Amino acid sequence: MTLSLFVSLFVDGLSMGMIYALLGMGLILLVRAVGILNFAQGDLLMIGAYICGCLFLDLKLPLWIMFPIAIVWFALIGIIFMFTVYWPLRKASYSQATIIATMGASIVLQEAVKLIWGSSPRAMPAIVQNANGSPKILNVGQVTLPIQYLIILGVGMVIIYLVLKLFEKLYVGKLMQAACQDAYAANLLGIPSILTICATYAIVMIVCGTCGYLVAPQFMIRSTLGTLQLRAFAGVVIGGFGSITGAVIGCLIVGVVESFSTLFLSGYKDVTVFLLLIIFLVLKPTGLFKGKIGDKA
Amino acid sequence: MITIKNLHAYYGTIEALKGISLNIAKGKITCLIGSNGAGKSSLLKSISGACSRTGEILFKGSDIVALTPQKVANLGVAHVPEGRHIFPGLTVKENLEVGTVTWRGFFGNSPYNEELEDVYNLFPRLRERADQLGWSLSGGEQQMLAIGRALMARPEVLLLDEPSMGLAPLVIAELFDKIVDINRKKHLTILLVEQNAKLAMKTADYTYVLERGKITIEGPSEQVRNDARVIQSYLGKFARADRN
Repeated sequence: MTLSLFVSLFVDGLSMGMIYALLGMGLILLVRAVGILNFAQGDLLMIGAYICGCLFLDLKLPLWIMFPIAIVWFALIGIIFMFTVYWPLRKASYSQATIIATMGASIVLQEAVKLIWGSSPRAMPAIVQNANGSPKILNVGQVTLPIQYLIILGVGMVIIYLVLKLFEKLYVGKLMQAACQDAYAANLLGIPSILTICATYAIVMIVCGTCGYLVAPQFMIRSTLGTLQLRAFAGVVIGGFGSITGAVIGCLIVGVVESFSTLFLSGYKDVTVFLLLIIFLVLKPTGLFKGKIGDKA
Repeated sequence: MITIKNLHAYYGTIEALKGISLNIAKGKITCLIGSNGAGKSSLLKSISGACSRTGEILFKGSDIVALTPQKVANLGVAHVPEGRHIFPGLTVKENLEVGTVTWRGFFGNSPYNEELEDVYNLFPRLRERADQLGWSLSGGEQQMLAIGRALMARPEVLLLDEPSMGLAPLVIAELFDKIVDINRKKHLTILLVEQNAKLAMKTADYTYVLERGKITIEGPSEQVRNDARVIQSYLGKFARADRN
């Protein structure tokens, strides 16, 4: 393997890993806030792609106007998602009900976009492109790096940094952490858990929707974009459910492994990822990283 | 400070409190004793808005029976729940900081050093452990943290639910000294719920006995402590000398 091939496979893998990492981070935020695994995570990404497609292709808004509008929509959809999929079932006698509801939501979202926008995929231009409309590619020596991948990497890192900062440094983030860790005590202290849950859903949808916009040029806007979440699940299990950093690293590993496996067994790249997942489940089911809340002996 | 009239509390179809009336005097320690399932915790939850209830709860003259827990907390009622319920993944200092939400709002711009110093002076152990995560504290330290967190809210009334639960006798003695301290020095009104009847009545000025959702005996602690029924059911027939 030449160095240039190695570098481009690595960057390719990292950029896809970054998308999984953003989805995985969202999964952990939701698990912490409301204790459910969201099986519609990938479909939130897909909705994000469709909304950006609608604003960008149909309304032809420039990027700098489109993005703030898209963010407002994402936040709104996140809150609607919370009030339809989680809120009515929060006191169900079986906690699995909310998880199954997210699976149902996944089907509803997929069918809804087909009803609204039709079932044929839509092409989305890359953020930076050549005059003829093809995605711009950066050539460094013999290494070819699509600019889109670098943008994904950059934006992904900024989002992860901002979310970590929000939860760990800002007072409002501490309140959200508190509400996640013990909703009852937080309520008694005067933290309205409904607000913190709304905020969490809005943040998760903004992150997922942004991912949708970032991957759309590569995969096109289609209703099956949701399948990306499977790799995010694998990455979160590998990294460990306890910490966001762990999940991010796990997802990056998944992306890189997937990318390199295309070189050796191109038809089996999904198999490699899930093989890795199975190996981890057998050998280290707690994941690579531990959460900060330990068990006292 | 708080006057309760004909309070009923419900968990689904189960009626946990069956018409309670009581009065919590300003600046005093009032205690509520009773056996498991008598409704002690339900009474505290009813005051702080954490369970469904009907009746009348007057706090400084206004009825709070229909308010949400947030609104009650904002009025100055701090509830230290049974089982401590500290935030395990936040440090001691962050736990205390979160307690200030009632008066600092969601963005927390105003300083809270004064309150923090007060709590640290009251419980020096918390100062030593300031950067440790909540889950790693011992039971006694967690209880101190839970009380400290409630004090950070600048409360006027402190509701303490079973502060002695699961603690060693020496730690309990220290904790109750602090509770008396809080009452005497800060002039904070305290409602104390305890299973440990002897200790509770020693600490409190006024005592209510709760049995199966109703108040059966009440009076100044000294008087209740010598009531034959209380001795029979809560203090034990023998060991009269030990009671005092």
